[in-house]
Amino acid sequence: MTLVLRRNDYTLSDEQGQLVDMLRSLFTEQSTIDVVRAAEPLGFDQNLWSTVQDNGLLTISIPESVGGDGGGLVELVLAGIEIGRTAAPVPLIDHVVTMRLLSALKGTGVSIDALDWKAALAGDLIVSLAPISTWELGSQLVPSGAVAKAVVAFKDGAIILMTRETPAAQAQNEGCAPVAWWSPNDEDVLTTTLLEGHEAVDIWELAHREWRIATAASLVGLMAISSEIARGYALDRKAFGVTIAKFQAISHQLADIHMDVVTARNMTIKAAWLTENEPDFRPELAAMAMAHATRAALRSTAKAVHVHGGMGITNEADISLFYRKVSSWSLVGGGIRRDLDDISTAIDHRAQELVVTALTSSNR
Amino acid sequence: MDFSQVELTSDQLVFEKEIRELISQNWTPNLAHIAVDHDRMPKSVRMEMSRRGWIHPELAVEAGGAGLGEIELEMITNLFDEYYIPANVSSSLLIPTLEKFGSQWLKDNVLPGIRSGELTTCLGYSEPDNGSDMAAATTRAVQDGDTWVINGQKMWTTWGNESDYVFLLTRTGAVEEKHRTLTMFLVPMNTPGVEATPVWILGGGRTNVTFYTDVVISDNYRIGPVNDGWSVMSEPLATEHGAGVVTEGVSPVNGSMGAGFSRVFQKLVDGAIQWAASRTMPDGRSRLEDPLVRAALAEAMLDLEMCWNAEGELGKPMSAEALAKHADKLADMAAPEGLLDFGVDGSIAAGIIASERQHAPGTAVYGGTTEIYRNNLARRLGLPRPY
Ligand SMILES: Cc1cc2nc3c(=O)[nH]c(=O)nc-3n(C[C@H](O)[C@H](O)[C@H](O)COP(=O)(O)OP(=O)(O)OC[C@H]3O[C@@H](n4cnc5c(N)ncnc54)[C@H](O)[C@@H]3O)c2cc1C
Repeated sequence: MTLVLRRNDYTLSDEQGQLVDMLRSLFTEQSTIDVVRAAEPLGFDQNLWSTVQDNGLLTISIPESVGGDGGGLVELVLAGIEIGRTAAPVPLIDHVVTMRLLSALKGTGVSIDALDWKAALAGDLIVSLAPISTWELGSQLVPSGAVAKAVVAFKDGAIILMTRETPAAQAQNEGCAPVAWWSPNDEDVLTTTLLEGHEAVDIWELAHREWRIATAASLVGLMAISSEIARGYALDRKAFGVTIAKFQAISHQLADIHMDVVTARNMTIKAAWLTENEPDFRPELAAMAMAHATRAALRSTAKAVHVHGGMGITNEADISLFYRKVSSWSLVGGGIRRDLDDISTAIDHRAQELVVTALTSSNR
Repeated sequence: MDFSQVELTSDQLVFEKEIRELISQNWTPNLAHIAVDHDRMPKSVRMEMSRRGWIHPELAVEAGGAGLGEIELEMITNLFDEYYIPANVSSSLLIPTLEKFGSQWLKDNVLPGIRSGELTTCLGYSEPDNGSDMAAATTRAVQDGDTWVINGQKMWTTWGNESDYVFLLTRTGAVEEKHRTLTMFLVPMNTPGVEATPVWILGGGRTNVTFYTDVVISDNYRIGPVNDGWSVMSEPLATEHGAGVVTEGVSPVNGSMGAGFSRVFQKLVDGAIQWAASRTMPDGRSRLEDPLVRAALAEAMLDLEMCWNAEGELGKPMSAEALAKHADKLADMAAPEGLLDFGVDGSIAAGIIASERQHAPGTAVYGGTTEIYRNNLARRLGLPRPY
C-alpha cells in the first residue's frame, strides 16, 4: 500500500476573482429584488437575459471549438453562485450545461441539425436539460422548460433532443421557477435521437453531474444571501431591549447557516474542479455537492426565515422570496433521495477497497 | 484551485518506506483499546521518532526537527493514522509561544528538549469550577522573590500523568479582574507538590485531575509578563481551534482537531461497510444491497465529505457533531452486533462502531465545546457578545 495525498486548494485565480467581481456587480445592479419579483410568476426576465447575452456570459463555459470562450465548469459554478445571490430570473445554468452537453456531442461527430446552433449559442433560442432519466411518470418536469424550445434528455439508453415551436406551459410552483412538463410523446414535440450506446451513457452521465454541480452552486448563492439578510435583520431587530443577535438561540442559528454556506460552497467548487480535470475520480462528488447544497439550502433558508419572526413569513419580506426559490431550484432535479442513490455507488467501491483484515474479529 | 494528486518524489517514497519500517519495528496497535485522542505513543517509539526529528518535523534540523515540508508532514499524519498510532506528543501549539515569551533560561535549557520531542507537555487551563470560562481560573501563583508558589487544582489535564511540563494558567491578582490578572507558567511536572490522579472517560481514555500544593518554581518558568497570561495563551488556543488555516497545499482545510475526528469517522464508515459486506439478508443477498443500509451509509459518506470541506474553525464542531450523529446511526444499523467490544464473538471491525459511540460525545467538549465554537463563530460574523 502506498500513500495517496491530494491537494486541497480552493483559492480562485486572479482571472476567476475578476470574473466573480464582474458577475457580482452585474447581477447586483441588474437583478434587483424588484426585477426578480416583477419576473414572477414565470421566473424569467427577458431584459436581464439580453444583458446576460450582451455580456457574453453564455459562452464563458463553452469550448472554443464550437464557438465558445473555452472556460470550464469551475467558471460556470462561479457564475451559478452569483446568480443564486440575486435569485436572477435567467436560465443561464440550464442553458449552458445543455450547450456543453451538445458541444460534447458535436465533438464526437454527432450532427445536431434539429437545432439552430447559432441561435442556441447566442441564447436567442433557450435550451434546457431534463435531469431525471428514469421517466417514471412518462413525462418530466424540466427546469427552464417553460422558457426553452429545446430540451435534451436521456431516455431508454439514448440521448434525445426534444424541440417545440413554443415553450411548454409553466407548471405552477411556489418558487416561480420556469419549470414545465415535457414528454417526447407530446404531439407538439419533435424528438430526435442524438446518440445511443455506451458513449451516450458516458456523455449523459457527465452532463448530469455538471447540472447537479452548477445547480448546487446556485443554491450556495441563495444560501449565502439569505445568511447575510438574516444576519442584518438580527443586528437590527430588538426584543426585550436588546438586539436579537445577542440571543444565542439566534446567533447560533446564524453560525449554523454560515457553516452550511461554507461547506456547500467548498464541496461544489471541489466537485467542479475534479469533474472537470479528473472525471473518473470519485464520480459521486457531484451528487454529494448537490445533496449537501439541497439539504443545507432548505434548512438554512428555513432558519433564516425563522430568525425574522413573523416578518419572515410575509410575502413582502425578501427572505421569504429566497426561501421559495430554494424549494423550486433544489428539488426539480429529483431531490436528495436520488442523489443518495448515486452516492451509494461509492459504498460498493469502498467495499472492494477494504481488504477484510485483522480488523474483523467476527467469525459469524 | 487544485485538487490533484500529489506525485511523491523518490525521496518522499523512501521517506514513506522509512516511516513504515520504523512503525512496524516498534509498534503493534492494541485495537481493543483505541483511544487515539487520549493515548500517547510509547516512549520508545517517541524516542525513535525524536532521534529523526519527526516529532516536530516542520522545524529546522538545528532546531530539533527534520526540516520537512507540508507534504512530509501530511505523510506522517496519515501513516500514523493508518497504524492507529496516537500522535499526541507534539508541542507544536506551544513552541511558537515559548519562543516568543519564554525566558532566556527556558529557551536555553528546556525549549530544545521540547522541540526535539524528548520532553513532552500538557495543557493546564481547565479547573473543576471553570472550563469554558477559562478567565475565571483560580489556581493561584504568588511571587516570592525569584520564585513563585502555586496552589490550586486543575481538571482534565490530559497526559498530566506522563508529561514533563504543564502549560499552566494561573491567577496572579483579583479573580474579579478576570483576564487581566492571569499569568502563564511552564511547570515541571516532577516538582514536589504536583500530583495527577486519573479520570477515566467514555471510550476508555484517561485524563487527570492535577493538584498543585505549595509548588515552588523559579521565575524562569514564567511565560510572558505577569498578568498578561491571556494574550500569551490566546495564540496556542487559536491554533488549537484551527483558526487561520491556509487553504493552499496538501493539508486539509479542516485543519483543526476536526481533521482527526474526520479520520476516525472514516474508520467508522469503513467498519460499517465491513459489517454490511459480511452479513446477509434473509433472502441470501448481501446487506450491501439492503436499501436501508445503503441509505445510512450514503448519508454517512456525504457527511464525511462535508467534514473534509469544513474549513478552519468550522472543522471541529462540524466533525464532532457528524461523528456523534453517525456513531449513533451506524451502531443502530449494525445492531445488535454494533454494541459489542473488540474481540468479543461477533464484534465488527475492531469494535469500532461500539467504541466510537463512546468516544464521540467527548469530541464535542474537549478543546472547547461546540457552543463555545458557535459563540466564536458568531463573533467572527460580527454579531455581539451573547446576552
Ligand atoms: C476528555 C477531556 C480532555 C480534556 N483535556 C483538557 C486538557 O488537556 N487541558 C485542559 O485545560 N482542559 C481539557 N479539557 C477541558 C475542556 O476544555 C472542557 O471540558 C471544556 O472547555 C468545557 O468546560 P467544562 O467541562 O467546564 O464545561 P462547562 O464550561 O461547565 O460547560 C457545561 C455546558 O455549558 C455550556 N456552556 C458553557 N458556557 C457557555 C456559553 N458561554 N455559551 C453557551 N453554552 C455554554 C457548554 O457548552 C457545556 O455544554 C478536557 C476535557 C475532556 C472532557
